Amino acid sequence: MEAGLLVQMLLGALLGLSVYLPLRCGQLSLATPGFFAIGGTVAALLSTRVPALAGSGSTYPIASVLLEMVLAALLTGVLALVLGRMVLRLRGIYLAIATIALVEILRVVTLNLEFTGGAVGIFGIPQPFQSAEGYGAFTLVLLALVCWMCDRLEKTRPGRAMAAIRDDELAAASQGINTADTKLLAFVLSALVAGITGVVAAHFLNSWNAKLGNFDASITTLAFVVLGGSRTWLGPVFGGLLLTALPELLRPVGDLRLIVFGAVILVGPLIFPQGLITLERLQALWRRRPPWLALPSNRGRR
Amino acid sequence: MGLQLRSFTLQALATAGGLSLLLPLGGCQPSRPSGAGKPSLTLGAVIALTGNASLIGQDQRLGLELAQQEYGGRQPALNLRLEDGGSDEQTATLALRRLLQEPVVALIGPSLSQQAFAVDPIADRAGVPVLAPSNTAIGIPEIGPFVSRVSAPVSKVAPLSIQAARRLNPKLQRVAVFFAQDDAYSTSETKIFQQSIRSLGLNLVTVQRTSTADIDFQKPIADSLKNKPDLIVISALPNDGGNLVRQIREMGYKGLIVVGNGMNSPNIYAVCQRYCDGLLIAQAYSPETDTPINQRFVALFKQATGSASPPQFTAQAFTAYQVIHQALEQLQRQQANGQPLASMSLAELRRQLNSSMLTGTYATPLGKLKFTPQGEVIQQEFYVAQVAMDTTGKTGRFKLLSNPAPDLR
Repeated sequence: MEAGLLVQMLLGALLGLSVYLPLRCGQLSLATPGFFAIGGTVAALLSTRVPALAGSGSTYPIASVLLEMVLAALLTGVLALVLGRMVLRLRGIYLAIATIALVEILRVVTLNLEFTGGAVGIFGIPQPFQSAEGYGAFTLVLLALVCWMCDRLEKTRPGRAMAAIRDDELAAASQGINTADTKLLAFVLSALVAGITGVVAAHFLNSWNAKLGNFDASITTLAFVVLGGSRTWLGPVFGGLLLTALPELLRPVGDLRLIVFGAVILVGPLIFPQGLITLERLQALWRRRPPWLALPSNRGRR
Repeated sequence: MGLQLRSFTLQALATAGGLSLLLPLGGCQPSRPSGAGKPSLTLGAVIALTGNASLIGQDQRLGLELAQQEYGGRQPALNLRLEDGGSDEQTATLALRRLLQEPVVALIGPSLSQQAFAVDPIADRAGVPVLAPSNTAIGIPEIGPFVSRVSAPVSKVAPLSIQAARRLNPKLQRVAVFFAQDDAYSTSETKIFQQSIRSLGLNLVTVQRTSTADIDFQKPIADSLKNKPDLIVISALPNDGGNLVRQIREMGYKGLIVVGNGMNSPNIYAVCQRYCDGLLIAQAYSPETDTPINQRFVALFKQATGSASPPQFTAQAFTAYQVIHQALEQLQRQQANGQPLASMSLAELRRQLNSSMLTGTYATPLGKLKFTPQGEVIQQEFYVAQVAMDTTGKTGRFKLLSNPAPDLR
């Protein structure tokens, strides 16, 4: 398979996880592309404007990318902390609207600021890897780390508190869970993941502009989770991988490919209202494993 | 029970369907005939066939297909591989990387300047010549040594239509400007428009920012009509721009409208219909040019569509293909003892093609073309057209104004 597509699929999976984190405590936040855009802008600005980061070799040093990731994480984390305090008083559709507004504000601001390059954006972003394979390996490690974090989250107290809030916020609060702080934690984690993903995406895409964090991106990333499932972290990962790859895999279909893609997004949730990957389905798959599958991948254990 | 069983079967089916879609990911790419062995070269093209630039892409696809028909069979034989680059950077990146997997000698595209800024560096690093048929923003050839264009830059073309508007209505004074703020090309073009408005001593009364995703423009139009403009200048893409024109007319504006290169396509007829009538658009191409190559191109176009006036984007795409083919022909002639080009190493062929392309002079439907060493096109003739819709309001034509602009730089 083409390595470039694999990188975009992995980035899609990371963004899916970013939408999934607030959904774990029942918060429908569409702010992911906003934080993604901030991360990308930070990386684009630092790598094109700060000569000290460029190093002496022919490729851009990975240490600088890591530094950009730390800075992007700091910026998005602080922003999410401040904004989260305000917007997380809203629930359901109102929170969704407020987060869409955030994405729009960031987009319009980026379009109109001189130093972010306006509509053209910032281009000629230096490359830390010579080939798409390098990006693939780097993003895979990043995805594995975030998956590990999500997996830990599902098994530790904050993660269980999130699940409790999702099922019944009032009941959770009456059990002594600090619902405000738990929701804020999920929101901040979501922002961190999106911001860090933005850094990798900016280098991978060469150029960065406001279009990358728009309302369309909010809906696409939400579709990752809706199709994949929001009950376990495998859902958004699978949804992100599948929905990013699908338009490309359908290229042989020709002009019909986006129609088929749309049909998949439409039909998927109709047949699987809980998403493709649910705990029940994973357990069922595990129980029905064919005998030759003596040592299968341990994803059925989840 | 029966229901449960059915729903399980459905789920199993759908899961299997989903997994089968993922299957090719694990395996290797189905192999394509690489052209090795037989002396045929591959030319890649990344064109916007979907998204809000698809109206431009349709014109370009036709131009490339006509050129393939005309030149593909001649020696050195060329195969065209067309990929949909969408109207955004990610899709274009994927399409371009996909083409780079193949033994392409050169690439044509992408449709939008914004996409070019993202994908051209990838091709440039890979040492593959990219010839842009429609990127007119400032700074495209400067992306790298392998990037060039046949589309004259906006700074040369855009001012002509303002000058033409001035000739049509010498009394005009108050100008309103609209531009799609989220489109790289439109923001680049509007700067040139605004400079040219000021340098003609006209009064720029308002600048309205729109978005390529907008459908309703009531608010910016109402704001600008309050200033009583007698000329409106629009930089946008066909879909949003067409709707904007329509709503401007519906809200009662009677004066002249100049639109930019983003709307330079008969495909806008379907969007603004009878309201397209009278739009002024500067052109880098005239169907009436009286040269053998243009007559041939118009004849091919007529054969394919029945119409005798090809749009500029079609002519430019045809020209891009033609330039690459002629540069290859030139290269073939230079080969000692007639070695086929396909036997040369791909990297070397790409490098030599690039330098051959930039040093040649070409008689194209756009007129006589050559390039600066950097890859910027040098074109002689420019025109201004006015849209004339027929009485049904469904179709129309680009009528060239008789008086081409005098002060060409």
